[in-house]
Amino acid sequence: MSRIGVFVCHCGENISRTVDVERVAAEVGKLPGVAFSTDYKYMCSDPGQGLLKKAIREERLSHVVVAACSPRMHEKTFRKAVESAGLNPFLCEMANIREHCSWVHEDRDEATVKAIEIVGMMVERVKKNRVLPTITVPVTKRSLVIGGGIAGIQAALDIADAGHEVVLVEREPSIGGHMAQLSETFPTLDCSQCIMTPKMVDVANHPRIKLYTYAEIEHVEGYIGNFQVTVRRKARSVIEEKCTGCGVCMEKCPVRKIPNTFDRDLGMRPAIYVPFPQAVPNTPVIDRENCTKFKTGKCGVCQKVCGPGAVDYEQEDRLIVEPVGAIVVATGFDLYSIEEKPKGSSIKGYGEFGHGRIPDVIDGMTFERLASASGPTGGKIMRPSDGREPKQIVFIQCVGSRAREKGISYCSKICCMYTAKHTMLYHHKVHDGQAYVFFMDARTPGKSYDEFWRRSIEEEEAVYIRGMVSRLYQKGDKIVVMGSDISVGVQVEIEADMVVLATAVQPRKGADTLAQKLGISYDKYHFYSEAHAKLRPVECATAGIYLAGACQGPKDIPDTVSQASAAAAKVMTLFARDQLEREPIVARVRETGCVGCFYCKKVCPYGAVEEKEIRDRQGNLVKVVAYVNPGVCGGCGTCQATCPSKSVELDGYTDEQIVAMIESL
Amino acid sequence: MTPKNALRYAYYPGCSLHASAGEYDLSTRELFKKLNIGLTEVPDWFCCGATPAHNVDELLSLSLCAKNLELAEQVEGDLAVACAACFSRLKTTQHILSESEFKRQQVEKAIDAPVPLNGNVKHLLDILARDLGLKRLGQAVTKPLSGLKVACYYGCLLTRPTDVPNLDCVEAPTIMEDVLQAVGAETVAWSHRLECCGANFTLSRPGVVVQLSHAILDSAKAAGADCIMVACPLCHGNLDIRQKEIEGVYGTHYAMPVFYITQLVGLAAGLKADKLGLDALIVNPMPLLKEKQLI
Amino acid sequence: MKKKKMLLSAETMDISFVRKVEALSGTSVRRCFQCGKCSAGCPMATFMEHPPNRVVRLLQLGQWQRILAGRSIWYCASCETCSTRCPNKVHLASIMDALRKLSWDAEGPSKESYVQLANKLFLQNIRTYGRQYEMRLAAVFNVKSGQFLKDLMLGPKLITKGKLKMFHQKNKNMTEIEKIFSRIEEMRKNGEAL
Repeated sequence: MSRIGVFVCHCGENISRTVDVERVAAEVGKLPGVAFSTDYKYMCSDPGQGLLKKAIREERLSHVVVAACSPRMHEKTFRKAVESAGLNPFLCEMANIREHCSWVHEDRDEATVKAIEIVGMMVERVKKNRVLPTITVPVTKRSLVIGGGIAGIQAALDIADAGHEVVLVEREPSIGGHMAQLSETFPTLDCSQCIMTPKMVDVANHPRIKLYTYAEIEHVEGYIGNFQVTVRRKARSVIEEKCTGCGVCMEKCPVRKIPNTFDRDLGMRPAIYVPFPQAVPNTPVIDRENCTKFKTGKCGVCQKVCGPGAVDYEQEDRLIVEPVGAIVVATGFDLYSIEEKPKGSSIKGYGEFGHGRIPDVIDGMTFERLASASGPTGGKIMRPSDGREPKQIVFIQCVGSRAREKGISYCSKICCMYTAKHTMLYHHKVHDGQAYVFFMDARTPGKSYDEFWRRSIEEEEAVYIRGMVSRLYQKGDKIVVMGSDISVGVQVEIEADMVVLATAVQPRKGADTLAQKLGISYDKYHFYSEAHAKLRPVECATAGIYLAGACQGPKDIPDTVSQASAAAAKVMTLFARDQLEREPIVARVRETGCVGCFYCKKVCPYGAVEEKEIRDRQGNLVKVVAYVNPGVCGGCGTCQATCPSKSVELDGYTDEQIVAMIESL
Repeated sequence: MTPKNALRYAYYPGCSLHASAGEYDLSTRELFKKLNIGLTEVPDWFCCGATPAHNVDELLSLSLCAKNLELAEQVEGDLAVACAACFSRLKTTQHILSESEFKRQQVEKAIDAPVPLNGNVKHLLDILARDLGLKRLGQAVTKPLSGLKVACYYGCLLTRPTDVPNLDCVEAPTIMEDVLQAVGAETVAWSHRLECCGANFTLSRPGVVVQLSHAILDSAKAAGADCIMVACPLCHGNLDIRQKEIEGVYGTHYAMPVFYITQLVGLAAGLKADKLGLDALIVNPMPLLKEKQLI
Repeated sequence: MKKKKMLLSAETMDISFVRKVEALSGTSVRRCFQCGKCSAGCPMATFMEHPPNRVVRLLQLGQWQRILAGRSIWYCASCETCSTRCPNKVHLASIMDALRKLSWDAEGPSKESYVQLANKLFLQNIRTYGRQYEMRLAAVFNVKSGQFLKDLMLGPKLITKGKLKMFHQKNKNMTEIEKIFSRIEEMRKNGEAL
C-alpha cells in the first residue's frame, strides 16, 4: 500500500486567489493511498521544501505529489528535495494547478473542483511510478556555433579560449555578418570594421576553431553532450587549401557587373569574388548562377590565371559529420523590406511608401554602406538614382516595427539609436545638409544612449518631428514626404532628396527550418525562444542548445556580445563535467510481447531503437526483438503509441498510468 | 437572345446615375449591350444612404444597403454596381454584418428579412477586368485609344479600406490602368490617383472640394495627362462640374476632360458619342477626341 | 479659442461614452499609440481644429465634450485613408461615424451646421422619396442655409446637360422604406439599438 504525500502550493496568491487550496488539500487527503496532505504559501521556498522533507521522513511517505506550477518550472526543484529526503526522485510528480487551472479560470468554486481533479489524477499516476536509476552519458567536449556574425564570433572565441574545440559554420562566403557592413557604431562612433576585423582574424588563426564558411547545417541528431551534426559545405569552386588569396582571378574575371549584396546592390562585383576586401577567409567563391563558365561552358579565365591551381569547376557540395556536445545558435537577423509581399503572407509591404520602387527611398543598412569608408561610394553620401548629394534627407522610424497592420507588432530596439547615428554621420559629411527624423518615441535605454540621441539634436542639428509619415511619392526628382507633427497638431510636408527608412529587424529567412532541424522552439515571427524569459535567457528549452544575438530577438552589438559570452559560459559549464546525468524517462521493451515488427524503429525520431536477438541456451535464435538504447532515447513516446502489440512503454507514462488517471475522473 | 453561358448581372445604378450622372448610366448600358453582357436593373431599388447615412446613423445605413441586397436577390446574377460610393456601402455592409452577429440581428429586425451576405457585389471594373477578362475586352476593341494619355483616378472608395472592397491593392491598385491599356490607351503615372476629391462636401462646403480637387487636377496635368478617367459620379462632379470654378479660384487652365470608365471603353468598342452621353460632360471632350482622331 | 485645463479623475474621464463609441464603431480606441499617421495623410486635416490623432487622444481621456463642441468630426470626408494606414488597425473612419451619430443624438452641439444640415436633408429625402434627388437636395439646402445664390451659375448649365432632373418618379415600394425608418426608431425607443 502506497503512502502518498500531497503538497498544495498557494504560489503567493497566484493559485490561492482562484483556488481554495485548503479545500484541495483536505479533499485529496481523503483519497485512497494518500497518507498526508497539506498546503503552504510558497512550497518551492526553503521552508516549503523543508516541510516536504520532514513529512517524507516522519510520515514514511512512499510517493509525493506537489500541486503547484508547471513541471517545466519546478519539477527539478522538488525531485531534488525528495531525493535529499531519501526517496527516488522519480517517485515525485507535479500536478499543475497554476497554468492549467488558477491562471485560466475565474470562478473559484469551479476552479477548486478542477484542481482537486488534477491532483487526484496525479495521485493515481504516481502510485504506479517505478524507481528509476539515473542514466549517465559521456560529454563530447566540442561545440558547434551556427552563424559567423559578431555573436557567433564572440561565442566561438570564448569557448575556444577556454580550451575547447569549436566548429563555426557560416552560410555566407565570409564571416563578419551585419557588423562588417556597418560604418560606425553607436554610442561611441568607433569604426565598425576597426573593431570587428581583428576578431575575424582571431577566428581564422585560432588553433581550436574549425571554420566552415559557405556552409549550412544539413541535419542534427542526438542530444545534449552527444550531437551528431551534418554540415553541408557548398561547392565554392575554389580549393581553400590551395588558394593564397592573391585576387588575380577576381581582377581577370570578365563578368563584372553583378550587384554586390554586401553593398546592398550599390556596388558591383565579378562572378568570382569575395564579398568585401577584409573577408575571412580571403578565399573567393564562384557565383555559379552568373559565371559564364557555368552558364555556357566557355571562359575558364580564372582557372587559367590561378597560379596555385585552386579553381575547381568540378567541385561538389560535401557533407561532413561533426560530433559535438553543445550547440550555440547565432543566426542573426534580416531587415524587413517594404516591397510588396506575396498574397496570403502574414507580413505586408508599404504601398504608401511606394513598395520599394522609389529609387532614393533606401533602408538603414543601405545608408550604412553609403556612409562606410570602405563602401561603394568611399563614404560619400549620394543618391542611388543620380549620384547627387542629398541636401534634404528624411529619416523615418518604425517602418514595419510596431505596425500590427503590417504584421509586426514588436519594437526593433536598435533603430532609434542607429537613426540618431545616421543623422550625425550625415551632418559630418554634408555640412550644408539638413536631416529630419519622423519618430513616435525615442527609445534610448542604454549606457550613454540618451546623451547620444540628444547630441544628434542639440549639436548635430537634426530636426526630430514627433509624428509618422502617411505617404511618400516621387515629384520630379524630389520625394514628397507627407507627415504630421503631433506636438503642434499640423501636417508637415517635406520635399526630400533622399529618404532613409528604419526598417524592422526580422529573424533570418529560413530560421524556422533550422529550428526544426535543431528541435528548438520559436515564436510567431520565427525568433528563437529562450527557456525562460528572465531566468534562462540564453538557453533553449532543448538541452544543450544555447542562443546568442538577434536570432532570439532584436539586439544591439553590446547586448549581442554579452549574450554570446553568456552562451559560451553555459557551454563551458556543461563541458566542466565528463559525464552527464540525464532523466531516465525512456522507453522499455517488454521482450515477451514484442513480435519484432519494428514499427517503433521506423517512427523513432532519435534512432534509439535497435534490433536484439533472443537465443535459447543452446544458442539457437528464438526471435528478434526491439531494444531501446536508453542513452539515445528522447522519451517522446512515439514508439508506445505505434506498437501494435503494446510491448513498448515509456516510464512514467505507461498505458496503465494513463488509464488510471482517466478512471480517477 | 443571349447565349446560356453569357455573363449576366443584376444592376444597381444608384441615385446619381438616374440624375446628374445619366451619361454614366447610358454608357454602362450601351457598353454592356455591345459586349453581350446582360444587365437587369434591380426593381424598385432604394438609395444606399451614401455617405450621409453612415456618417450619422450606421444602423440606418446598414439597413438601407441590406434592403437593397435583399431586393437584388430577385434578379439572377451577381450584383453589378457602377457608382464607387454605392459599391463601397454595399461591400462595407456585407463586411460589417458578417463580422458582427449583433449588428446583423439588428439590421434583420429593421428590414424584417434575412440579409443575403454571400451574394457577390461587383464593381463594373471588376466585371470588365476579371469576369469578361482583359483579353476578351481587348478583342472587342474596334477603335484603340492610341495616343490618349489618361490619368486613372481611383479616389477613396473603390479600394479602401483594407479587406473590405477587395477590388485591388489598397495602396497600389492597377485595375483601371489594366482596363485602359487593354483598350489601347496610354496611362500616366501620377501622384494623386488615390487622394480624396472632397466628396460630398460639394453641397455643404464647396470650398473644400475646390482645394482638394485642385491638387488632383494639378497632379494629373503635371504628369502629362490629356484627360482623367473616373468610376464615381461624385468624383466626376467635383473634377468636371467644378473644374471651371477651380480654374477661376487658382487662376489656372486645365481644360481637362473627365470621362467615366464606360465612356472611354465604349469609345474603344466603337460606340458613337450619342450612345456614350459625351455631350453631357461639362468640360468639352470633343476637341481632345478630334485631335486624337477618336471621333 | 481659450483652452480649459483638463482636470482628470475617474469621474471626469467619461469611459462609458468611450465604450459606446467602441460598440458603435467596432474598433478599439485604446489601441491607438498616437503615431499621427492618420493626421499625416488626412486630406481634411487642414480644416479641422483637432487633427484626427487628437480626436482619438481626447477620446482616450474621455473628453468627448471637447470633440463634439468642435467641427473636426464634421469635416471628415470618410475617405478611409486613416483606417487603411493605421499601424494599429484602429478604424478611425468608423470612430468618426460613431462620434457624429452621438453628436447627432445630443442634437448637434457643434457649430458646424452646414454639413449637419446637408446630412439631415439627405436622409429626409430618402425617407420621403426612397431615392436621392439632387436638384431638390441642392435647392432646399440653399434655402435652409440661407445661401440663395450658392452655385447659381452652375444650375442652368447642369439642367441643359440633363444633370438636374426637374421631375422624378417615386418608388412603388415606398411603404417599405418608411417601415425601415420607423422600425429603427422603435428599436431605439425600446433601447434595443444605439
